[in-house]
Amino acid sequence: MSGVDELQGELAELLTRRRAVDTDPTVSEQCARIATGNDRLSPAQQIEIYREQFWLRHTSCLLEDFEGLGAVLGQSNWERLIEDYLSAHPPTSFSLRDLGDRMPEFVERSSWLPHHDLCVDMARVEWAYIEVFDAPDAAPLDPAELAAIPESAWERARLRLSPALRLVRVGHPVAAFRRSVRLNETDRSLPEPEPQNLVIYRGRDRDLHHQVLGDAAFALLQALSQGLALVPAAERAMARAPHQADRIEHELSAWFADWAARAWIVGVEI
Amino acid sequence: MTSRLGLPDLGVGVGLRVPHYRHILDSRPAVDFFEVISENFMVPGGKPRYHLSAVCETYPVVQHGVSLGIGNPTAPADDYLDALRKLVDETKTPWVSDHLCWTGVPGTNLHDLLPLPYTQEVVKRVSERAKRVQDRLGVRLLLENTSSYMSHASSTMPEWEFVSAIAEAADIGLLFDVNNVYVSAYNHGFDPSEFVRSVPHERIVQIHLAGHDNLGRYIIDTHGGHVIDPVWELYRETIERTGPVSTLIEWDDRIPEFPVLAAEAERARRVRAEAVAARAALGGRAPARPRMGVPVRGAAVPQHRAWTQGGPREHEGGSP
Repeated sequence: MSGVDELQGELAELLTRRRAVDTDPTVSEQCARIATGNDRLSPAQQIEIYREQFWLRHTSCLLEDFEGLGAVLGQSNWERLIEDYLSAHPPTSFSLRDLGDRMPEFVERSSWLPHHDLCVDMARVEWAYIEVFDAPDAAPLDPAELAAIPESAWERARLRLSPALRLVRVGHPVAAFRRSVRLNETDRSLPEPEPQNLVIYRGRDRDLHHQVLGDAAFALLQALSQGLALVPAAERAMARAPHQADRIEHELSAWFADWAARAWIVGVEI
Repeated sequence: MTSRLGLPDLGVGVGLRVPHYRHILDSRPAVDFFEVISENFMVPGGKPRYHLSAVCETYPVVQHGVSLGIGNPTAPADDYLDALRKLVDETKTPWVSDHLCWTGVPGTNLHDLLPLPYTQEVVKRVSERAKRVQDRLGVRLLLENTSSYMSHASSTMPEWEFVSAIAEAADIGLLFDVNNVYVSAYNHGFDPSEFVRSVPHERIVQIHLAGHDNLGRYIIDTHGGHVIDPVWELYRETIERTGPVSTLIEWDDRIPEFPVLAAEAERARRVRAEAVAARAALGGRAPARPRMGVPVRGAAVPQHRAWTQGGPREHEGGSP
């Protein structure tokens, strides 16, 4: 390791400290070895400018990405969570877009959080929005391609779902709550438990949307997303939602048309 | 059109920022070129790629990065360079720029443009890597002088010598950020004219101009306002020495309506033309002018905010 490497390692450690370095006498000597200071700023004050920005930059970025989670937690719990998170998972990606990639699992492990189940739901949904936002594009389903599929082939057909779609089952109506946060609605209260099947997707307009689905349709989509052919997928959905087996049979083609129109289905493989 | 290191003078451009997307795509304003932050578009799909593609249809685009980390303990990662190269092929950028700085250590990306110690050891490290990066990207690499708030006790040369040595050793171009020169001159107490006069002018392929926040004891390079008059004068002095160079206005914080940004670009165009004319009148020599001297401590603004390079990230639109 070169002298520069050592210096950078030392500085990185100082810059990621939770507390200010310019008021910590235990590091003043170390700071003076690294930085010169000047007639206006001590060496530690120079380094503190960068340390403070490390935290401001990353916490504001996480708040943009997890606005709903921040609203559930309130200021002090949010700050504690974020400090814990960044300490446990310092940023590694070149892109700030990836900063929150471990937030859902971290929230799940942070059992001290108030409204813990709600926080877990919110973190999962908000990360799904991040993933869907810039997921790969896929050309919409070509009606000609569909028309060319012989009836007999449908049994083994596999539907290809959009890469910009996520299926998230939650225990609270978090998408609606998040919406009210983003609209700055003031008269909102935390959502009560209520299981929901959420489809979070990027539409043809490239905007992001969410849709609440019934158990049967959601189970079918889940099975399709796992690569099952249409018939086995429908069978699995019926097994998962036996009370809605009839519905699956009767509404399959309507669902199919709706999902194609929303660009959830982007291809058919025989 | 003047060619510098075989690269064109693109005129005066502005940074492509999210709040202006709609205006730009709807009304296609007259702008010589746009600069994009590479990392914002190194994603698989969605709106960022759509918007970039739409802008590239109408305007020349140059790529400017913030995550190369050319001075990090380890060399830039292959997957990062591969993704950057892919974007270069798509945008047809005539060059790629990033900062002469370090951004992190193995296991931690600090997402900041941290100053390097100005030493021979670092000159060697950075120039060897810069050569390899340039070869790999297939276009000229420009490195930008950064603004800084700390000075390393281990530095053995002034910043302008450090910048010049790397540019020459690596045979790369310079993205000369005039505002950064001013900010660092204020923060570290040197004469910015010394910096302007000392770098290899023939290697300056692009210039950045921006506003900053003066906190009294030091200046933060927020890109959050108008270019101040001393920076315009430093820009004039630079152009008198370089001749016409592609110039870009950066505005990343408190981003105004597009016409305000366009007016700033127009001012750059005027100053640039005047400086080019002054140089031409002397047969291509820079007019004699007094040095600026160490910037005088200015009035402080009360707040110290977080700042970002490249403005706000693009986020989901449509229904909240």
